[in-house]
Amino acid sequence: MSSPLTRPSATPERPRRLLILLGGALIAATYLFLVVVQPAEIAGGMGSVASLVSLVGFLGGGALLVAGILPMLSTSSLVVMPLGIALNIAIGQVAGSLGMQIYLDAIGTVLVAVLAGPAAGAATGALSNAIWGLFNPFALPFAAGAALIGLLAGLAAKYGAFRHVYLAPVAGLVVGAIGGLVAAPVAVFMFGAAGTFGTNAIIAVFRSMGDKLLVAATKQGLLSDSLDKIVVFVLVALIVYALPRRAVLQFPFARTHRVLGQRTDVAGMGTKDGTTTGTTTAGAARGNRTGA
Amino acid sequence: MPRRRIYNPLTELLAAALLVVLVLVVNRWEFSLAVLVLVVVPAVLLSGRPRQIGLAIVLVAGPLLVSSLLLHGLFYPEGREVLLDLGVARVTAEGLAFAAGMGLRMGVFTGVLLSTAMTLDIPDLLATMTHRGWNRKLVFIVGSAVGLIPHVSLRARRISRAQQARGLVVGRGPVSRFRALLTVTTPLVIGLLVDASERTRMLEARGFSSSAPRTSYLPDTDSRGQRLARRAMVAAVGLVSVIRLAAAMAA
Repeated sequence: MSSPLTRPSATPERPRRLLILLGGALIAATYLFLVVVQPAEIAGGMGSVASLVSLVGFLGGGALLVAGILPMLSTSSLVVMPLGIALNIAIGQVAGSLGMQIYLDAIGTVLVAVLAGPAAGAATGALSNAIWGLFNPFALPFAAGAALIGLLAGLAAKYGAFRHVYLAPVAGLVVGAIGGLVAAPVAVFMFGAAGTFGTNAIIAVFRSMGDKLLVAATKQGLLSDSLDKIVVFVLVALIVYALPRRAVLQFPFARTHRVLGQRTDVAGMGTKDGTTTGTTTAGAARGNRTGA
Repeated sequence: MPRRRIYNPLTELLAAALLVVLVLVVNRWEFSLAVLVLVVVPAVLLSGRPRQIGLAIVLVAGPLLVSSLLLHGLFYPEGREVLLDLGVARVTAEGLAFAAGMGLRMGVFTGVLLSTAMTLDIPDLLATMTHRGWNRKLVFIVGSAVGLIPHVSLRARRISRAQQARGLVVGRGPVSRFRALLTVTTPLVIGLLVDASERTRMLEARGFSSSAPRTSYLPDTDSRGQRLARRAMVAAVGLVSVIRLAAAMAA
């Protein structure tokens, strides 16, 4: 690693925990308002109050989270975030245009969360939807849900969900179910649950059984998001297993929490300055060969 | 030919976002239609690239509008006035009205945001953010991500062609599709991560983690008048929103 040519800053930036707490509280309050307090079913009208609360609450909460998280991120995390955002948008746009029942728009978010941690994952999710919203306005209000996916994926990685490939789909199922629950009110109150032909077909089935729009969208979210996140988590697990060892070890989070378990273990690994010495394990060597 | 820029990109972006908020607050199809006809259509026509923007709006909003019309037009159990009974599906007047209202709203959102985004001068926007003292990490992420999106798409296409040349055939089954996705995304991510690793070293060597103020090489195109106008727009829309929402909650 090269040495900085500039003097270190006298006052290093600190995470703004108050902003993170406020952001989380705003998102939680918005969700509760939409689901519990908002009694009028969207189908009774287009729900001006609910739509506005959903846009401002989820976007504002996401913005506060990002403002609180950014100061605490290292340069290696920051550099990988645009990569995650670009992957989300590029792959998500293709999946959407093909009318698939799943979205595949969180591959970058989960990848960043696994390598750089829950905070970087949450910021990637929120910023991803905010930037995508410029080109696809339907992504914009889902920023808070995407942040939650990044946060949960990072926590799952921290506690070992990516150490074995069979654990990844289990974590994906749980994260997807939570994500689906959060995304459903946004989809309903902002866009009347309009989505791709695939997701709308699922909603239509529940609506034909007499479900209210919010209930039908929630059931669809639980189905589609769970399936989507199972696929995404398995895909990301297989991608990170194939990464060269040095590509994984450049991230302090992945090193410190042994996110990939024995796959990236080296003697002397996990030191604070990031130096790595010693020999690779069989898994790491395999990763190198696959990634080469 | 791109249009001559009158306002700073930050002003244009904020105006577009506030227009979206106003459409939600007013929540009347007449207002949405007025915004579509009086703002979106002229903005697209005067953009200098009406074909590209028009096509993008149709491609983004079109499938959603059609699927929304099918969903609410055919499956709307709250509907009372049945126009056509198809057994499982029923076409109701209320469902069609709801789909039309939502469709109009989605059309306005897409038109407003896409016509702004597709004529946005991204370097100018980033320079303005730097001049206004926005968080440099945020400016880096936004600028870098926007620059990476076409690069990632191009690289994915190239890898996809290379894998097809090596015998990759995408079947109709989910397993085959998943395998194809993996064979494209794995080398794509590895390549991008190696690039990111190089970039990390270069940024660290140039003092990226320092919190000293940044200098933008681009001139500041923002003006005091526009800064005041942005504050006034936010205050006006905020006030209208609070008044209308208070009235809606009281009713």
